Amino acid sequence: MPTETSRRMIELVHLGRNYTRADGQRVSAVDDVSLIVPEGEFLCLIGPSGCGKSTLLQMMAGLVGPSSGAIVVDGKEIDGPGRERGMVFQRDSVFPWMRVIENVEYGLKCRGVAAGARRDIARDYLKRVGLSHVERAWPRELSGGMLKRVAIAAVFANGGEVLLLDEPFGALDYVTRRQLQEVLLDLWEEPGRAVPTVVFVTHDVDEALLLADRIVAMRNGAIVDDIPVGAARPRDTDTLLLQDMVAIKHRLLGHLGRAQAARGAAGARGAA
Amino acid sequence: MNGRAEAVATAPRNGEPWSLSQLFKACSRTFTALDPLRFAGALLFIAVWELASLFISPIILPGPFSVLRRAAADFWSAPALSYYGVEDPSLAANLAYTAENVAIAALIGAAIGVTLGLLSARVWFVRAAMNPIMMTAGTVPILIAAPFLLIWFGVGRASAVSLVAFYIVVILYVSSQRAALNLDPIYENSALTLGAHRGRMLRDILIPGTIPEILGGVRIALAGAWGLEAVSELLGSQSGIGKVLEVLAGATDPQGILATLLVLGCAAILTDGLAATLIARFAAWRFAGS
Amino acid sequence: MTDASRQQLVSLSVFAALAIAWEILSCVYTVEAQPGEPMVAGWGTLFTRTLLSLSDYWQGGLGVPAVADGAPRSYLAALLSIISHSLATLARLASGLVLGGVFGLALGLAVSWSPWSRRLVQLPTQFLRALPLLAMVPLFQLWFGTYFYGQVLFVSYGVGMIVFAGVVNAVRNVPQIYIDNARVLGASRAHLYRTVILPAILPSMRSVVLLSLGAGWGAVLAAEYLGAQSGLGYIIVYAQQFGLLDRMFLIALLFILYTSASYWVIERLFTRLLAWSPSSQAASR
Repeated sequence: MPTETSRRMIELVHLGRNYTRADGQRVSAVDDVSLIVPEGEFLCLIGPSGCGKSTLLQMMAGLVGPSSGAIVVDGKEIDGPGRERGMVFQRDSVFPWMRVIENVEYGLKCRGVAAGARRDIARDYLKRVGLSHVERAWPRELSGGMLKRVAIAAVFANGGEVLLLDEPFGALDYVTRRQLQEVLLDLWEEPGRAVPTVVFVTHDVDEALLLADRIVAMRNGAIVDDIPVGAARPRDTDTLLLQDMVAIKHRLLGHLGRAQAARGAAGARGAA
Repeated sequence: MNGRAEAVATAPRNGEPWSLSQLFKACSRTFTALDPLRFAGALLFIAVWELASLFISPIILPGPFSVLRRAAADFWSAPALSYYGVEDPSLAANLAYTAENVAIAALIGAAIGVTLGLLSARVWFVRAAMNPIMMTAGTVPILIAAPFLLIWFGVGRASAVSLVAFYIVVILYVSSQRAALNLDPIYENSALTLGAHRGRMLRDILIPGTIPEILGGVRIALAGAWGLEAVSELLGSQSGIGKVLEVLAGATDPQGILATLLVLGCAAILTDGLAATLIARFAAWRFAGS
Repeated sequence: MTDASRQQLVSLSVFAALAIAWEILSCVYTVEAQPGEPMVAGWGTLFTRTLLSLSDYWQGGLGVPAVADGAPRSYLAALLSIISHSLATLARLASGLVLGGVFGLALGLAVSWSPWSRRLVQLPTQFLRALPLLAMVPLFQLWFGTYFYGQVLFVSYGVGMIVFAGVVNAVRNVPQIYIDNARVLGASRAHLYRTVILPAILPSMRSVVLLSLGAGWGAVLAAEYLGAQSGLGYIIVYAQQFGLLDRMFLIALLFILYTSASYWVIERLFTRLLAWSPSSQAASR
């Protein structure tokens, strides 16, 4: 949990991203977004599909360049992807041609860490996510939930200061999702190392409430709300029933609902 | 996404002892591979052939055993061939000549085809320029170029090798282009966010990711390469299996032709098996666990 | 300019550049195989002198006498010779495709009737498929001579092997659920074949047919190279013996036209036939 004196880890300065559609129309996926994320914060970006949250995350990762504005991470303007901003994708990104252990140590290998040392680190993180028994397996042999654990282990083993997650658990069933949320929080709050700054994109309000220190809601490419979540950790489904949490939930659903209603009205207008 | 399980089933790893159920599974898998019905089918085929050869004159259809004997006899030394101007009178020597040509053509063709194919997947200009040529070449039998090559390079290795190499280039160009285009861009993005710099992409992502499909193309290309090489030799050569076939046909020797075809077939099966082994070794990640 | 039209422009430019390069080469490299027969003929020469020279291959008839009988070359004779030899080649190909296709389909379906029969023929057919098709021309010539039917049999053998293997594989891959569904609705074995299996294998038949087409063209060309008295392949090999590269080139261009057209036709046909199919194969081309 960041404090008053935490330094700014991520700073988005009037960030914008436009696309030109096939018919020539200009669409703005991200519209003049400014945001400061202090070090060690777990931030959730929430919004309906098409609100620009994934585009924003991709820009933070450096995979997509901004049309306007800048992204400053740890005092430096970013210019492309880098290991200090690790990312967990929604689809399976684990390399199928490498065994599980080789996937987890890939980032370390790129950095030039010696074979023995990186194998130990990789083994350690595999143990933490509960996958020691499939160290030598091929990704093709694993289930979706297990592959997500491998991806998370790989990113944590790489030790970046910033962690970006793009609806990582969206394709999984409820029980697996809850398990992976726990795995993520365990690794995040790991004692003995600096707490990474996390930006977690989701469309699931409950997930955001369970995980986040702060929730930022987006709609049509802009930030529409910024809500701190003060509930103590560890949280569980009972925490969601607390009065404060229910209030935040209603507030968020209001944003999502308004977007639904607006789309519904536009749809009705369009159909007429 | 079917058949994935939380526990990794089948074979044990890292030297653990086999359990009874794993042992049983491995045995039953081997048994189905050595299917007795398939063997029965092979024996039936040979029996029918032998029976037919008894009724049909040996000038038209020699029996399987006589063909086998002829193949064995002529393999290391066939002095009769030297009468017809075959340089090295034995099946083995001519098979070696043919095989050498196929191998050289395969190496050249693979180097050019895979490089161009991978490049064309990443550079749109190369793709736009090469695709029409390659796709047209894909529809036309490469054999159309054989007479031209014979005039330009004369009778000898060069014309055959260039013909087969061109064939392999086209097939591998298509295979590697498709493999690279089908490679999910998420892997590149993932590698970048794990700290890999662009220089590593070729070695870590592009090549390992495309190898199974490229090796599949190699396997297909090899099968056709043998036939193309044989025809090129039939058209104009002093050595090789094609030359032997031409000579034996001129001498009205079906037993010899069948024996030669048998030897050629075995060579093709061998190289196909080799390609399959390579695929099993380097593409295990695609097919493992099934 | 969109990506697609940019690509098309580059593709067209490539063909245009090749054509121009050819013309330049013909002006630079003026070696002649025989007097009046240039090795690299420019486009102008190709469509005049070379075209005229093709009348040498017209055997006479239809009121147009053969050059071999002393008649002068003419565009009409050239046209007739092109048509007659093209027809010969196409006839061999078509007959072989139909014969091989029908037999391959029938045998494939018959063998797929029971899993026993499939396993029974597996090893022999695998071995026969391993024998390079083009290497078997001498064998077929020995058995059937260099007559029309011999060449057709050769082509149908090659096509038949491909169709057979393709059909067996396709039937094997029919999703069991379609079969179960039909059985549960009371379909007999024969009815099942006609109404479920045949339509279900149609999408995979697309690649089988295209493969057979390729093999068929190759087989026809090989057969004509090695002992035919008519056909485009025959002309090419005959001209090759005299080093008449310009004639070879013209016929080769014609041949490329035919093969590309045949692929285009088949692909169009299958796109129509498979409009109902959800498989991406039909839509991807």
